[in-house]
Amino acid sequence: MVSRRLFARAAVAAGALAFAAGTLVSAPVYAAKPLKIGFSMALTGGLAGAGKAALIAMEIWRADVNKKGGLLGRPVEFVYYDDATQPAKVPPIYTKLLNVDKVDLVVSSYGTNEIAPAMPIVMRKKLVFPSLFGLAVNDEFKYNRYFQIMPAGPEPKTDWSKGFFELALEQNPKPKTVAIVSADAEFALNAAAGARKNAKAAGFIVVYDKTFPPSTTDFSPIVRAIEAEKPDLVYVASYPPHSVGMVKAAREVGLKAKMFGGGMVGLQFAAIQKNLGPQLNNIVNYDFWVPEPTLNFPGVKEFLAKYQEAAKGKGVDPLGHYLPPYAYAYLQVLEEAVNATKSLDQGKLAAYMHKTTFKTVVGNVKFGSNGEWATSRVLMVQFRDVKPNDMAQFAGPGKRIVLYPKAWKSGDIVYPFNQ
Amino acid sequence: MFRNRGDVVFWIVLGAVLLAGFGVTQTIANEYYYTAIYAILQATIMAVAWNILGGFTGYVNFGSAAFFAIGAYTAVALDKWLGLPMPFLIAASAAVCGLMGLGVGYLTLRLKGVYFAIATLAMAIVLETLINNWDYVGAAKGVYILTPEKVPFFSSYIQLLFMVMLALTLGSIAISRYLNASRIGRGLAAIRDDEVAAECAGVPTLRLKLISTTLMGAMMGVAGAPYPFFVTFVDPISAFNLFVAVNSIAMPMIGGTAHWIGPVIGALLVGGAQEVITVTVSSELNVLIVGIMLVLFITLAPQGIVGLVQKWMKRRKR
Repeated sequence: MVSRRLFARAAVAAGALAFAAGTLVSAPVYAAKPLKIGFSMALTGGLAGAGKAALIAMEIWRADVNKKGGLLGRPVEFVYYDDATQPAKVPPIYTKLLNVDKVDLVVSSYGTNEIAPAMPIVMRKKLVFPSLFGLAVNDEFKYNRYFQIMPAGPEPKTDWSKGFFELALEQNPKPKTVAIVSADAEFALNAAAGARKNAKAAGFIVVYDKTFPPSTTDFSPIVRAIEAEKPDLVYVASYPPHSVGMVKAAREVGLKAKMFGGGMVGLQFAAIQKNLGPQLNNIVNYDFWVPEPTLNFPGVKEFLAKYQEAAKGKGVDPLGHYLPPYAYAYLQVLEEAVNATKSLDQGKLAAYMHKTTFKTVVGNVKFGSNGEWATSRVLMVQFRDVKPNDMAQFAGPGKRIVLYPKAWKSGDIVYPFNQ
Repeated sequence: MFRNRGDVVFWIVLGAVLLAGFGVTQTIANEYYYTAIYAILQATIMAVAWNILGGFTGYVNFGSAAFFAIGAYTAVALDKWLGLPMPFLIAASAAVCGLMGLGVGYLTLRLKGVYFAIATLAMAIVLETLINNWDYVGAAKGVYILTPEKVPFFSSYIQLLFMVMLALTLGSIAISRYLNASRIGRGLAAIRDDEVAAECAGVPTLRLKLISTTLMGAMMGVAGAPYPFFVTFVDPISAFNLFVAVNSIAMPMIGGTAHWIGPVIGALLVGGAQEVITVTVSSELNVLIVGIMLVLFITLAPQGIVGLVQKWMKRRKR
């Protein structure tokens, strides 16, 4: 006969077994060890605003992918360090990621200066390297596992301004002269060099071609000097503080050019858009994504809703149209490659990334042989009907009309600029 | 070379550190340690160099980043032009920056104290503007340097850079130590204490100041020469980074400026802390920590760590 004590012990043991079995059955999908993605990011220093926004977007991707069961059945973890927008900090960070943290995959920081120092380290380990907004970095390294998400096209330096000059050629009366002005710094000089090439190829006469120091704050003398040459087109390659200064000076001076804009960084950010308000009207400038119906890619609105919620109170771009969708997309590319190849084999991933057209929140992405987009999608958009002191107006369509490329066109140009 | 037993011990330690460094490269493959230590060694050379003028001679130089950047850009230009091997690039950078230092030395004829400090800062801005407009070295766009995948004797390029930097650091420390204990060092100390009195006492002040600024410039140039091969992309903003200048001043101040070992201790301590904090807390905290340490040491221990230790030892003897 079974004693009461024995029965109680058996019951406890059975209960424990059942609990253990139940735990095993209902255990989270992630029994496997996490899959680590490593990167450095500009979270402080000059590019911190953009870097923090990129990180928010990347964290949204991580949450989304983990909700779907992770990658290869493993939960995704980020290992990242702040590079403080200092190139010298990048090599130690990537060597630590690879040698100490033993990450499975790496992606880049934001911006050319922070991407380039990681290249030799990544190349030595033969890793795929999705990168975020580097301008023509691979022109020097020629690394066949480099994949850059900014839609600057196979020849980034010239593709950047191609749309501006192609639009100008279509106008009537046809413009003849152009002024090119740029900040004396990395991106702006490259963009201006491309603009110079495109202008000459299109047969425009360059009547003004000068640079200004990045520390410039008073742009009126520059705009007056440009105005003295009476150019039909004014192509500006500048960083955010200069872009604001140039737009304000152009309005103060009453610039009479027929097209004004081109390569001004900053006019894509909601805070600057609100600050400049109607002064932006009719400016034709580059952009990468705007909330026009032609660019309503699957998932982009849902992503932006999550981003805008997460960005509240963090001092980053509240609308997040410029960089964040691409920060999400460069991880989507990696996600699809890993899922499709069911592997972390870097050779297989690279081969897949070269041959595939990826469906992302920024549309279809196909990489060319140099790791840049196979076809440029640098948009030329025109600000229209902008009202003062209203940031919300930029969240919807109708304020930045897509003029170029034709495949994404959402309206016609208002020409000339200063009418 | 060997004036006393201390000299023998010093050179033995130096040789042992160099050999140990080489031994480590042959046994440890983890590249992180080499990149992290490279940054600390670079900071050490800069600190030691700054201290020769700032600590031994009493002339504050705010333009350290300019010497460092010109060293880097000399290496870039010669690498691009002639493709010279690393030792020649380092020698050339030392020569160019040494000459620059000589020029700065002549400034001391007319400028002293805060005026000299401002002049060195202005020099950095002028040189940055020049580099910004020199297309051959990439101007404001920056320039890429491609490093070889394989190097003899080492399993990776960063190990070679680490060994180069270690040798340069030890060389700089040896020069600094020699200066500190030599007639030149005593003359520099006299200039620091009272330049007019030193001149009256027969100290050849101009000659000594020229030696001091030339050595300082050459050593900072030497620290900058391998930098392009470390980061592979150099642009004026990062090469002329103010943080380089701030670190060069903060490290000797924290370690102690009067003794040759002061900047070495300061650089190892602050540089090491910075590398650890970068990968544990935040890169931005580096600046804060350096700032706080600087304020604390200037107010509470103006003689730096070396001064604190010396005080403590004196008390113990009593």
